[in-house]
Amino acid sequence: MFDAKLWRALAEMGTLGLPFPEEAGGMGAGPVEVMIVASELGRAGVRSPYAETMVAGTLLGDDALLGSLCDGSALVVPALTEPGRAWSPLPVGVVLSGGAASGVRAPVPYAAAADHVVTTARAGDSTAILAVDAPVSSTLDLAGKAIRVLAEDGEATVRRAINLGILALGAEALGAMDTALALTVDYLKTRKQFGVPLARFQTLTQRAADMYTSVELTRSVVYFAAMSLAADPDDEVAIARLKVSAGKAGRHVGQEAVQLHGGIGVTAEYAVSHLLARLTAIEHTYGDARYHLARLARRVGDYGALDLMA
Amino acid sequence: MERGLSAQDQQFRQEMREFFTTQIPQEIRAKAHTGEELTKDDIATTHRLLHAAGMAVPAWPVEWGGKDWSNRQRYLWFDELQLAGVPAPLAFNANMIGPVLATFASEEMKARFLPPTAALDIWWCQGFSEPEAGSDLASLRTTAVRDGDEYVVNGQKTWTTLGQYADWIFALVRTDPAAPKPQQGISMLLIEMTSPGVTVRPIQLIDGGHEVNEVFFDNVRVPADNLVGEENHGWDYAKFLLGNERVGVAPVGWIKRKLADVKAHAAQVAEGEGTLLDDPLLAARIAELECDLAALELTVLRVAANSHHGKPDPASSILKLRGSQIQQDVLELMVDVAGPASLAWEPGDDTPDWARRSAPVYLNFRKASIYGGSNEVQRSVISSGILGLKG
Ligand SMILES: Cc1cc2nc3c(=O)[nH]c(=O)nc-3n(C[C@H](O)[C@H](O)[C@H](O)COP(=O)(O)OP(=O)(O)OC[C@H]3O[C@@H](n4cnc5c(N)ncnc54)[C@H](O)[C@@H]3O)c2cc1C
Repeated sequence: MFDAKLWRALAEMGTLGLPFPEEAGGMGAGPVEVMIVASELGRAGVRSPYAETMVAGTLLGDDALLGSLCDGSALVVPALTEPGRAWSPLPVGVVLSGGAASGVRAPVPYAAAADHVVTTARAGDSTAILAVDAPVSSTLDLAGKAIRVLAEDGEATVRRAINLGILALGAEALGAMDTALALTVDYLKTRKQFGVPLARFQTLTQRAADMYTSVELTRSVVYFAAMSLAADPDDEVAIARLKVSAGKAGRHVGQEAVQLHGGIGVTAEYAVSHLLARLTAIEHTYGDARYHLARLARRVGDYGALDLMA
Repeated sequence: MERGLSAQDQQFRQEMREFFTTQIPQEIRAKAHTGEELTKDDIATTHRLLHAAGMAVPAWPVEWGGKDWSNRQRYLWFDELQLAGVPAPLAFNANMIGPVLATFASEEMKARFLPPTAALDIWWCQGFSEPEAGSDLASLRTTAVRDGDEYVVNGQKTWTTLGQYADWIFALVRTDPAAPKPQQGISMLLIEMTSPGVTVRPIQLIDGGHEVNEVFFDNVRVPADNLVGEENHGWDYAKFLLGNERVGVAPVGWIKRKLADVKAHAAQVAEGEGTLLDDPLLAARIAELECDLAALELTVLRVAANSHHGKPDPASSILKLRGSQIQQDVLELMVDVAGPASLAWEPGDDTPDWARRSAPVYLNFRKASIYGGSNEVQRSVISSGILGLKG
């Protein structure tokens, strides 16, 4: 699942440290550049822990490990989900008390390949950020584990990290949707049934037009989310809207891409099935459309007309 | 595309807001909130106030009354206009025939028609559709036969919006029935509605209102000078016009206004111990529509920024499609918020106006996905024109 060679290549191109400060080994670029890289990864169908690295790097703050993350010599992954619990950006059952952590994180993404894990724990009223500097398994029981406390009160950092991770995922989803649409359009032009190309059937081309519409609207939202984070890394509203739009569009475009391919669409041999699988995974990482919509819904009464230019 | 507004654009936006909310009568603007039908006077008064301030036709060439505004400024003008509940300048004048004449008409015709068109001294209506020519507009049958320095027009137009108020109609007519392709035998004629032989009959719509008409032509004699551009080139002008209609039609500010109204009304409708706005399902529908609307608005801005030399970005085709869908969604939501109060259409009881009007307006706006190129036609434009799916 983890392609070490590819990862080295991404590191050499400077993509891993893109948004992190130059003094820490990063490139000193920003969310817009992260968005560009992630969307190309999505377009090419490259599976990699890119979004995870953006999250982990942000969580590391000024920790020395950030340099190894940026140059690719260490794979650092975030462990932010708890078994048996819906998505929560903040820890619930993972606790830091008297210098020791307890609680379980699972599943830990890319656990088999990871050299370090960063996670969070409830410490009284605040959220601590911890590092585990050892290989772990996909279920990480923190009881008795050697940990390093990176921040005692890291809630703002955690939220920023997740914002950047969601931007990377949304951009990756956009790239994946671009490819899913392109493959589908191509297939409709070339596959023949009833003696004619599938593109002759309007029930299919009308649906391809709807896929295009979903993709273009998502593109606008992704660009805007990147610009929003560049202006304010704490802009959770633009990010929530991105996750909702990309989630809905990802389901729509991914499912229709498979359907319009017929049987070959559900084979592992053909790319569209992988794109739908990836879009499904993205939708369920860092909160799905339902989760983010519920957050937006709780505040709709706080303002009148939508104002994106404020 | 940039995040936020420059200081200059912020000031521009403020000026627009100030103008629309102080210079256009409140009684007219209030109708936007309740969905009350606008009278001829409402539309004319507003158009003329806008014209007097140089704001009726900003997208026209400057020499004919347009403004040298940036895309962003033009966007802000329209957005603020709609947010303030100001009826838009008459579309038949400002968005349809005006730009066609400015682009294709002779200098003489421009000088004759553009100033009164901008000022609404001429009220235009659009004579394209016919009973047998809807989506397949090129199959239209109304004929114009040259007789000396006149054309003689016979046939019927339908769906003619606000034709009952119109002074003139810009009509597509068949001038060459023998042309190899139906598109090649069509011309655009400007016809005075008072010409002998023109008859207008009302069509009542789903909400009981009268906004569209049938227009009959019985041996109507039209001066040949009233031909737009060249004979048998009308289809090009029509395509240009419909393209403009598609880009100008995404009613983003209007939807913003309605969504804000939905929230305000939902906060007034009691449910249980609280109000409808406390219902998480309703709040989620509002939040979801705001996400959809944000995506639409950002796309409008992106597309505007990417159009060069009048050639729109291909993505502009999705604006009519999504704009009409989201417009219809918000009106559907308005009826749902009104709930049982939506059953009372007639004035005379305690039902608030917005609730009384919610169902008729919702029903009326089913038209939005039918006119100006139906949504099915928009999808065909996307699939064949953009995706290259031509079967
Ligand atoms: C309220 C209102 C105001 C209007 N105002 C004006 C006006 O001022 N001036 C004017 O000229 N016209 C006006 N129109 C006419 C409007 O442009 C037409 O209604 C429109 O072009 C559709 O034509 P139609 O109604 O004949 O439907 P049809 O073309 O008969 O379509 C019926 C259904 O079939 C679908 N369909 C048709 N062809 C295809 C295809 N090739 N592929 C897939 N689906 C297809 C359509 O989308 C629709 O769902 C107005 C219409 C309305 C409702």
